[in-house]
Amino acid sequence: MLSATNFSQQLQFESNAVDDSMDEGGAAPHAKKMMWSIEFEKVSKSFGSHQVLVDLDLQVRPGEKVTLIGPSGSGKTTVLRLAMTLAKPTRGDIRIFGESILFDADKKGLSAAQESRIRRRCGMVFQQYNLFPHLTVLQNLILAPTTVLRQSKAQAVESAMVYLRMVGLQDKARSYPAQLSGGQQQRIAIARALVMKPEILLLDEITSALDPELAGEVLDVVRRVAHESRVSLLIVTHEMRFAREVSDRIAVFDRGSIIEQGVPEKIFTQPENERTRTFLQSVLDH
Amino acid sequence: MTWDWAFVIKILPALGIGVWYTVVVTAAASVIALGLGLALAIMESVSKTYGRAFVLFWLELFRGVPSLVLLYFCFYVLPQLGVTVPAIPIGIVVLGVVYAAYCSEVYRGSLITIQGELRDACVALHLRSYTKWRRILVPLMAQRAAPALLNYVLSLFRETAVLFAIGVPVLMGEANDIGYEHFRYLEPYTLAGAIYLAMNLPFLYVLSRFKDKHA
Repeated sequence: MLSATNFSQQLQFESNAVDDSMDEGGAAPHAKKMMWSIEFEKVSKSFGSHQVLVDLDLQVRPGEKVTLIGPSGSGKTTVLRLAMTLAKPTRGDIRIFGESILFDADKKGLSAAQESRIRRRCGMVFQQYNLFPHLTVLQNLILAPTTVLRQSKAQAVESAMVYLRMVGLQDKARSYPAQLSGGQQQRIAIARALVMKPEILLLDEITSALDPELAGEVLDVVRRVAHESRVSLLIVTHEMRFAREVSDRIAVFDRGSIIEQGVPEKIFTQPENERTRTFLQSVLDH
Repeated sequence: MTWDWAFVIKILPALGIGVWYTVVVTAAASVIALGLGLALAIMESVSKTYGRAFVLFWLELFRGVPSLVLLYFCFYVLPQLGVTVPAIPIGIVVLGVVYAAYCSEVYRGSLITIQGELRDACVALHLRSYTKWRRILVPLMAQRAAPALLNYVLSLFRETAVLFAIGVPVLMGEANDIGYEHFRYLEPYTLAGAIYLAMNLPFLYVLSRFKDKHA
């Protein structure tokens, strides 16, 4: 479990980094602005007349683990889909390490190549695994590294095996997804996202389709990622214990807005918002 | 009229030539139908207006006009316009483009069955459009469309018989010529029917195996 001490140490580290650059370069005050790994600025999203997100402001620091919780339909998954450019916001801007994934400097729309370059720093794992059914596990893992990162096949296989070992499935390299359990497929999906070496990993309800036993093995993998890497995690989950354990910060969503956010201890023990209290009570009672 | 075995033995080599042309025309036209059908389905999927309109026009034209009319048009009308093409390439191309229209609909149907989540995964892995189509969508489309496509290849194989109308020496054309030549129709047409049926059997076997495997 990531403790409050670790969280504060990380904040301290980032704060020092900004201060150091200031000392060396003597930069203007605006340079002090934090470089977020991902930043949503006044983002709204509607599907027809149904507004899913309303003026969302959310920032994630490099290496920070942020979990989005809240009732179903409150817009959590939409946040991840917008970040991955699987959907376009109706209004607002989204930046990845300071670069908009929607507009160029002249506020014109990005080309597909520009968009791809910027969002390449993101990876995503889905609720339904989304492994390619006609490819073996190993082929699933090496497809993107060989075609997108231009790695040689030997290099990609070597890297894939490292991640397969990390998720404990190195013996399944030649299996097809249909031959694996749901939990194994989800661990493969995590490995497939990690071989692309993302700096931001988006996890969308990755245990929702699994029974508790299989969910446990998937969460163990995410715990390892959370504790052993500097990747920023943006997690949507209904697993409150897990959220409390791995998150540096929790954002509570309701009706398309963040109604409260803070460190897990505060959210779970002293929620300020009445709706947060009601939500937590309902999920923790089950 | 009685069955004459001596005549049967005499005409077998000529029918054998017909079988060879039937196989060649079927194979070549199938390649065009399967390849062009796939290209049409992809064009229909990726394009917005003009591409879709073109595909729609193609489908309506080649599904709406009988193959025989197209064959006669290409064989008799094109030379009058100064374009003379031998009968065999005309037969192959006409059957190929007609069946490409049917095959594209099969591919399109199978494309619809591919879950949107797999396309999301392609975006999440930053695959380029070309890679997405070549490595993910086309193999899945082909896999899912295979039984229906095999049916169309079977249908195309039978339809090669109409090419005798423009003088292509397919099995039906050879049987027809033998009948005219000897004023005996019983043996050549019976043998042609039996050979078409026998040649169908491997296709039917493969099709049933495929259905069993994917049932």
